[in-house]
Amino acid sequence: MTPEPDLRDALLAAVPSLRAFAISLSGQVDRADDLVQDTLLRALSNLHRFERGTNLNAWLFTILRNLFHSEYRKRRREVEDPDGSYAGRLKVQPEQGSRLDFEDFRSALAKLPPDQREALLLVGASGFSYEEAAHICGCAVGTIKSRVNRARFRLASLLNVDDVDDLGPDSMTRAALQNSI
Amino acid sequence: MTSEKGNKLARVIPEESLNNKLADEPKLDSTSQKRIGDQLRAMYDELMQQPVPDRFKDLLDQLDKKEQEKPR
Repeated sequence: MTPEPDLRDALLAAVPSLRAFAISLSGQVDRADDLVQDTLLRALSNLHRFERGTNLNAWLFTILRNLFHSEYRKRRREVEDPDGSYAGRLKVQPEQGSRLDFEDFRSALAKLPPDQREALLLVGASGFSYEEAAHICGCAVGTIKSRVNRARFRLASLLNVDDVDDLGPDSMTRAALQNSI
Repeated sequence: MTSEKGNKLARVIPEESLNNKLADEPKLDSTSQKRIGDQLRAMYDELMQQPVPDRFKDLLDQLDKKEQEKPR
């Protein structure tokens, strides 16, 4: 089966969001890119299974997510991250001079259980509905809602979002000042 | 909340009751939720804006050619 040009373009167009998901999920750019590559290869060899007219991105995310988990199960010991080394490995600062500092957020994200991280990324960042996320993860909608809720709650407590003093432009400025010292 | 109930919850939770179960979980106020969401999307956007590595373009181009050469 020859991938039609528009399909090829659609696959290529999906790469940035697949990468963002894979990087956020795995915490490693190299590994994320391997995951994206494997996802594309698998998608191409299973194109006949893709139902035209359905959401291509959701289908690709499903493949990537399943690849990640089968690999994760294999490498569980390596991947578990009690000391936050996930965050340490995650050095993605493409644009120098960016005034936003996501380090705290990334390290908090790394502390979430993978199923919560995944649910939050799908719903809160990748733009999938709860129903789509449930389909991608192969679980009930209520399970996704619960995971997203727990993920947000956990992040809030890790980031002290409840503490008003830590919020807003002041903390941003403070972080910037600390970084510049 | 009293702690008298709850120790004998069913071990298997039917799927549909998970939605109700949400009500028992701690929930963030909308302001905090928005802040978390904003930070998450900002981090994600930064990743999305990274240029696509050539390997993916090459991969799709190569497969294009290879598939065309295959007699089917």
